[in-house]
Amino acid sequence: MKRETKISIAILVVGFFAIALYWFSDNKRGYSIEDERLVLPKRGEDDFSSLREVKEYLEDIKEALVKTDGVVPLDSSEIDSKAQEVQEFLLHNRAFLSDTRDAQGRLEHNDMMTIRPAIVSALSSQTKALCQATLCYQAEKYNFVTNTTTRAIVDVKNRKLLELKRFSQMQPDISKRLRNIAKVIALNAPQIKRELGRTPSLKDMSMANVRGSLNNSPCENENHLCVAPTFSYHNKEEALWAIVDLSDLKLVAAKWAGLGKTTTPSCISERSFQNREIMENYCQKDTLYSQDGWSLAYRITGSDGLEIIDATFNGQAVLKSAKIVDWHVAYKAKEGASSLGSSESYVAGRRIEYVKDKNDSFRFGYNDAMGCPMYSTSVVLPFNTPQIESIVKDGKEIGFYILQDYRNPKWPMACNYRYENRFEFYRDGSFRVVGVNIGRGCGENALYRPVMRIDLDLGAESFYKYENGLWQKWLTEQSDFQRDAKEYYKDKYLYKIENQKYGYFIEPNRGEFNDNSRGDNATLFATRFKSGEGDEDLLTLGSCCKLDEDGVERYIDSHESIDNQDIVLWYVPRIQNDARAGHEYCWADTVLEDGKLVVKEYPCIVGPKFVPIQ
Amino acid sequence: MYSLKRYLPIIIAICIVSIGALWSIHKKNSKKIKEEKTFDIGTFNRTRGCERLPNFLAKLRVPQPIAIDLSQQNYKGLAFLYGRGLNRAVHLKTWEAFDYFSTYALDPKGNIYLTPMPFVSVNPKTFEFQKNIYFLDTNSGNLSIWLSLDEVKATPNNPFGVIAVVYDCDDSTLWVSAIDESSYDKGRGVIYHIDIASKKILQRVEGVDALSLALLKSSKGKFLLMGDARKSQLLAMEIKESRALANPIKLLELPNTLEHIRKIKVKGENLLELQTIPFSYTLIAQTSSSGDDRKHYRAIWQSGIGFWKIENY
Repeated sequence: MKRETKISIAILVVGFFAIALYWFSDNKRGYSIEDERLVLPKRGEDDFSSLREVKEYLEDIKEALVKTDGVVPLDSSEIDSKAQEVQEFLLHNRAFLSDTRDAQGRLEHNDMMTIRPAIVSALSSQTKALCQATLCYQAEKYNFVTNTTTRAIVDVKNRKLLELKRFSQMQPDISKRLRNIAKVIALNAPQIKRELGRTPSLKDMSMANVRGSLNNSPCENENHLCVAPTFSYHNKEEALWAIVDLSDLKLVAAKWAGLGKTTTPSCISERSFQNREIMENYCQKDTLYSQDGWSLAYRITGSDGLEIIDATFNGQAVLKSAKIVDWHVAYKAKEGASSLGSSESYVAGRRIEYVKDKNDSFRFGYNDAMGCPMYSTSVVLPFNTPQIESIVKDGKEIGFYILQDYRNPKWPMACNYRYENRFEFYRDGSFRVVGVNIGRGCGENALYRPVMRIDLDLGAESFYKYENGLWQKWLTEQSDFQRDAKEYYKDKYLYKIENQKYGYFIEPNRGEFNDNSRGDNATLFATRFKSGEGDEDLLTLGSCCKLDEDGVERYIDSHESIDNQDIVLWYVPRIQNDARAGHEYCWADTVLEDGKLVVKEYPCIVGPKFVPIQ
Repeated sequence: MYSLKRYLPIIIAICIVSIGALWSIHKKNSKKIKEEKTFDIGTFNRTRGCERLPNFLAKLRVPQPIAIDLSQQNYKGLAFLYGRGLNRAVHLKTWEAFDYFSTYALDPKGNIYLTPMPFVSVNPKTFEFQKNIYFLDTNSGNLSIWLSLDEVKATPNNPFGVIAVVYDCDDSTLWVSAIDESSYDKGRGVIYHIDIASKKILQRVEGVDALSLALLKSSKGKFLLMGDARKSQLLAMEIKESRALANPIKLLELPNTLEHIRKIKVKGENLLELQTIPFSYTLIAQTSSSGDDRKHYRAIWQSGIGFWKIENY
């Protein structure tokens, strides 16, 4: 065979092999939400008030509350002379300003957003005819408290208000000033700097996705005004999208996504960012963490909140699992509740259970499960990802904590809840399981009971209670009312759990942890470990409202031996909320402060501390 | 001349490979373009259905209009609302026996087929209830289990099971969807086509998570419309000779990724009305009593340019 023929055959074979490879290879995927990388803020990184632009804006809001009925006017550099006349006219027009106060007459923060020659499409047919004969301007104002846009059409020459429309729950195009503030916040956000590896500059940024007129908000709180400045990197064909909340003046989330028209999401929402981040990184896998001699893993469960697993201290096994499986919420019903004649009813659309107590009064409430934001039975969802922070005492770092925030989406509105699961680990080997409740719930008579499940990993464990000056060993499964205890070992410890070599004192919270707590008032259960008794996700456990039951009683029915066994501790604090002014506890309220709505939090904090026996 | 003849086989080989390469690039790209083009569903209009309200309502002299209330806000299970502002209700305690309902379908006799749903709190029977299709008798008003789909298994990792139903007037069958098998990673929902007389499953289409169902007849044929439970999109499957042709086609996508189509109505000429809820396979979606989580859209099919115009209202 000739050399040329051999080459020809080789070209044909290689060529058709390459064509076949190309034909059967996958098309390069187009835009997919799965390609996006998310950046969520850390706690304490949301104060931008020291930035010059933000500081000046906050000062102008205060001034507007005194001088211009709460409306921050547009700067003269942003508008032409006619628009300045219109602004002057509107800032003294009673009709235009009639929505700037709440029912109590308190001023609400408003911004004048745009003033420009009227656009025909914005005019009614009657006004359209008038504006063909005279010069008309349209002005848009936004009320940050009520999330309402006001549009005014003004006859400039005759200084006459021709048309006034209010658009509730709608948001306008923003002013140049707010656009600039959004950019400044994005440029100075620590999360963005970390992502880019440097301080970005203004030229990197565009505002292509600044909100369109009268669309929904991308914020978690859809009543907030949010925009999305973007850092584009054409060489890498990707962009970093930042969501800036202009109501709270902070960055709420950011994401990396591709460039181009098809990759511009018409709505990027903070909630969808969080859901995916939490599902993929915390619901579907465990996260390992080591610090201060502690090594542990944590994950978000389907309905049992944040779980700490396999914790060791300096190589010694400490915890198999610690989690808060449920929050029982019970309310004392007002007179006449029993006339409902049913064991079930509804409060704000949620099914509730009624229970008659010993005093013949009624309790009603729910069992709130906390868990993964998707594919779970949870009702109170994780907000942001688990956060790890230092514990500092007297200026000295003494340990760290892992915290997961859970919220109903509309918290702090009535019948919406916020819980925090917090696990504290100290350098001296002690640790604390903490439940935090930040209201708000449905009423002032709420009794909250977080059900904590703590499975230590000491091996061949024995459990003791301190009474009559001695440590009394529990030989079988039983429970105890911490709230009734009269004496504590060293005035701190009521229980201890240990094996032959080491163990832990258990220090119930009686308000000694300097966190304004009013104590645990807990019930403690010690049970023998059994598969199916909370080692996997527990659905809601027991009744919300039977105050003589915590739900764990079913696990001590057989009173099995627990001496030298794998013991599981169930610790159920009970907390009475308080909504009295000046005494708020387990409560949250939204108040109008300096023209803007501010959430006031009054957390209640419970949970026992485990201290190594020296 | 000799040298050209000598290299002719190489030139021919290069030409053949080049032509083959160009052809395969062209074919593959045109296939991709075809895939991405908006599907032409044809022109359609509202048609008169075959359903009617239960006979017992007429016996009770309940005046029209009557609304079937599955909102679970004021009545557990099922209620019929009537009167001025729909402020009066017919509700039996026995209609609470199977907890909460998701969607319903009426047949020409006035019987109602209902699908279940979990609602806020889970109780020991919650998961068991999710595998059944329920039946409300047109004459007696008795509520019972009509059919149990034993392969449907709701779990703590996905508390939903049978979720949507629509009655097919053409052949007296039900189209039913179940989404129990789906997980975060994969949609493993199933559409069942069930003959009412024999209760036999005529067809089973896998891999579609339909949160809502509706039937549509257009100039191009008959389609089963499905609100996707995983994405904010509306899907369609063509039905020919009482069988769904597999591979659902995407019709349109809504702007907010968190909104999922819960109700589909054919409202007029080339006009669909869509209602959405935030749905993430948890129990949080159903907790808003004010209804402000629900969004309403009009989807207008502009057949001339092959485009869906979507309006929020």
